Amino acid sequence: MAARSRRRGSPRVTLIFLVLLSLTIITLDFRGDGGGAIERVRGTTADALSPVRRAADTVLTPVGDAFSGVTGYGSLQRQNDQLRKQIAQLQGQQFANQNAQMERDQLLALNGLQDQLGSYRRVTARVVSAPVSNFEQTIELDVGSNRGVGVDMPVVTGAGLVGRVVEVSGSRSVVRLITDPASSVGVRLVTTGEAGIADGEGPHRDLSVSYVSADSAVTVGELLVTSGLAGGSDLYPAGIPVGKVHTATQVEGELDKRIRIVPVADLDHLVFVQVVITR
Amino acid sequence: MTTVVRLPPVLLVAVVLHTAVVPHFRVFGVAADMLVLVAVAAGVAGGPERGAAVGFVCGLLADCFLQTPFGLSALVLTLVAWAVGGLQTRIVHAIWWIPMLTMGAGAAAAVVLYAILGAVMGESQLISTRLLVIAAVVGVIDGLLGPLVVRVMRWVFDVDPRGAVVLGPR
Repeated sequence: MAARSRRRGSPRVTLIFLVLLSLTIITLDFRGDGGGAIERVRGTTADALSPVRRAADTVLTPVGDAFSGVTGYGSLQRQNDQLRKQIAQLQGQQFANQNAQMERDQLLALNGLQDQLGSYRRVTARVVSAPVSNFEQTIELDVGSNRGVGVDMPVVTGAGLVGRVVEVSGSRSVVRLITDPASSVGVRLVTTGEAGIADGEGPHRDLSVSYVSADSAVTVGELLVTSGLAGGSDLYPAGIPVGKVHTATQVEGELDKRIRIVPVADLDHLVFVQVVITR
Repeated sequence: MTTVVRLPPVLLVAVVLHTAVVPHFRVFGVAADMLVLVAVAAGVAGGPERGAAVGFVCGLLADCFLQTPFGLSALVLTLVAWAVGGLQTRIVHAIWWIPMLTMGAGAAAAVVLYAILGAVMGESQLISTRLLVIAAVVGVIDGLLGPLVVRVMRWVFDVDPRGAVVLGPR
């Protein structure tokens, strides 16, 4: 009887021990205790597997794209049609933009000002890993502190903002995309200059913008850039394109407009990005 | 001793699959969770105690690649693998699809528990309408892959194929 009781009790002791051990580790991580041991464990494990992940990514990206094509054929076709339409519009805009850019550069020079974003050095990086978790929108880059990359630095493509660096080791870094539910970016509307905060809502979903007053004029397709003001916990240099207004609705009785924006950077097909070295 | 030798390479393969292969194949934007699958399969093949131990290690490995509190996945997978192992050992003369269903439900439960405990620890963004989609897709894929991984875990634990699944405690 006693032996049977011990047999039953032993697994429970193991369970209690492991649960307590987990809670201790979580507490140490929260308090930042352990002399950075937890960060070292994370970094070392990820560094060790980085070459394997990079190789697998190179081999499997085309296969994964084909798989996505099969499972999402309808949406791909719609996206393709939309992109063709956008190309035609953009070709028309290109000449107007070149002229505007020239005028802007001349004005900045006349007033002795410097383009805030242009004054920073940039490091080009290759995306070596797609998001691992179903909850987090993070990617891994093949550059780290060895190239001057640090935590909180913005990551961009030629089109606009991708996200910010949240973890760095010697030769790799992890970037939280602006679509991650934990991401919030301080933005402003280009035409009115009104500021707001753009929050991520997960993969393939628009960002929601809050704190834009109900009486402000917002048009669909309007560009939003980083405001340079702290949005939640994230801080970016001003003037980086973030997204274009997809929908803007006014609900009676609400003080703010409900705005949803589409990121201008293609976050689903990132191959090369640039880390803006802000310090 | 056999388990100590066989488990590390199996975990290494699971981590590589989890971080480098599986994320490329998504259904509704959701990928299978290989480390959850190994944890629940360990519960089915080895019972609650061994399941909890393997779940703890799988959770720590998963935490290395996440931004959520370190140890959160370890806590979740310890509890879920324990529960799945306990449930499975009580089933006598199981029909072939029972372990699949158990593992699918276990994987889905792990996803939901992870989000709930994460939210309790301040990661409120883990709770959203998308949570149900993630839990459903992970549950279905992990359930379908389950029998294969259970065979691997039986080999790791060196147990009789009928041991944990078909025969309950006498």
